[in-house]
Amino acid sequence: MTDAHIAAVGTSPLGWTDLPGRDLFSRALAETFADLPDPAEVVDALYVGAQSERYENQIMQGTLLAEWAGLQNRPAERVEACAAAGALALKNAVRDVRAGVHDAVLACGVEKMTAGGTEGATNALAAAFERALEQRSGITAPSQYALIARRYLHETDVTEADLAEIAVKNHRNAAANPRAMFQREVDVETVLDSEYVAPPLKLYDCAPVTDGAAAVLVTSERLAADLAADSVRVAGVGTAANALAVAESNLTYLEGADVAASRAYEDAGIEPGDVDVAEVHDAFTVCEAMLAEAVGFAPEGRGVETVRDPAERSPGWTDVHINTSGGLKARGHPIGATGLTQAVEAYEQLTGRAGDRQIPDAGTALLVNEGGLADAHTAAHVLTGV
Amino acid sequence: MSDHDITQTGPLAPEDVTADSPFTLPGFFDALGDGRLLAGRCTDCGTHLVPPRPACYECGSRAVTIEEQPRTGEVVSYTAVHRPPSPFSDLAPVTVAVVELDSGARLTGRVTAPVEEVEIGSSVAWRARDPDEVGIDPSAHLPYEEDWPVHEFELTR
Ligand SMILES: [Zn+2]
Repeated sequence: MTDAHIAAVGTSPLGWTDLPGRDLFSRALAETFADLPDPAEVVDALYVGAQSERYENQIMQGTLLAEWAGLQNRPAERVEACAAAGALALKNAVRDVRAGVHDAVLACGVEKMTAGGTEGATNALAAAFERALEQRSGITAPSQYALIARRYLHETDVTEADLAEIAVKNHRNAAANPRAMFQREVDVETVLDSEYVAPPLKLYDCAPVTDGAAAVLVTSERLAADLAADSVRVAGVGTAANALAVAESNLTYLEGADVAASRAYEDAGIEPGDVDVAEVHDAFTVCEAMLAEAVGFAPEGRGVETVRDPAERSPGWTDVHINTSGGLKARGHPIGATGLTQAVEAYEQLTGRAGDRQIPDAGTALLVNEGGLADAHTAAHVLTGV
Repeated sequence: MSDHDITQTGPLAPEDVTADSPFTLPGFFDALGDGRLLAGRCTDCGTHLVPPRPACYECGSRAVTIEEQPRTGEVVSYTAVHRPPSPFSDLAPVTVAVVELDSGARLTGRVTAPVEEVEIGSSVAWRARDPDEVGIDPSAHLPYEEDWPVHEFELTR
């Protein structure tokens, strides 16, 4: 098996922009290939994660983005699992390179979420949930996660103020991330005083609606060396699909995330305690706490200590630093691109490019990208420095 | 009233998968319109499946049968949707809950009470309604869903 590496990364600005999806992709691609030959000389195939054609009335995103990258007659396809689409693009790219099918595959993601306004985004995202009984009851993405959050707060001694601290921590991290949508700190009162979207979740518990694109070049180890790229190794991959309906979810334990991360750890030959930095899918604050528990970083019910310095956490916690990018909450959450923006942060941490948010000696990273309700779909990757 | 034999147990043959079978959505909603909430029940591990489907997600068995569900249960979790999808805006804020019926089967649905009156453990009972009567805009429905009832929960004390 060939080792798969990430040889270069790029993103568009993340936020509310005047650029349509294909142009956001062009921005990301320009950064990825700034120090490389033209994509057509390097890239054998392309995968694109894109959540919904409702935003721009455009499917065939594989063909479109390949065209915009100058990649004629190459395999190019869209993958979809709501917000896990970006990591699925990465997974497919890694699989192709490992199998020797291709030497270089471009994993990209794009979402133009603001195209239909808040109502358009609400309706497009609601399509990620079970149709027959749940959508027809008037649910939304925040309300589905609120059902998890309510039960989690009920079964643990975690409070809404504890969840607010996760938003505060992620905004603080984003303030040091030039890519982030919200490069500003907030205090816990601001979070707690923000309006309820679906109690117990408030506006500041929720990741924003974000326009954005990301492009990650996955190559064989040899090609990364030939390109003189500063690369990181994709050491482990794991995915799992769990139940679609919230009524069939465990509500307090994200089994699908546990399974996907365990597969990625096993593939990489590591343990949770070996992970230095992790980007986990904090679409809502409660998710960061629950994912910290599910992927083996935190003891049950103590995931909210993600905000503490490793030395000040409860016994049973690892030393991992979580969402150094600012997470979905503050870096931004352009649905189909999010899994790849997680990979961008890990790439920067593992190559010493993370500036003021650099974790010293970061050597191993975990990415956890989820789609639908929490662990309805999880894609996990382990990356290691070289 | 459907004349479908609800005692059928899977694995289903291809010819069993018809619009009058409760293993399909049209059959499930026909029964709901008649006041019967049907769940799949795995005869190997006992898991309830709402709506019914051909295979058990817990153990993988296709020996799933149909079981009529009780009317009452308890709230497992709840929230209020302050900004629901546009067809539901007349109902905002929409109280929704995950309910465990007395049988152990779970399903999500609207609750007709304000969220302040709902707690984990609240006793509820379901009923089936015409979506137009409830105030859901018809734009919510796909053409094949137009005659399907919607369920909702009422607090019972
Ligand atoms: Zn079973």
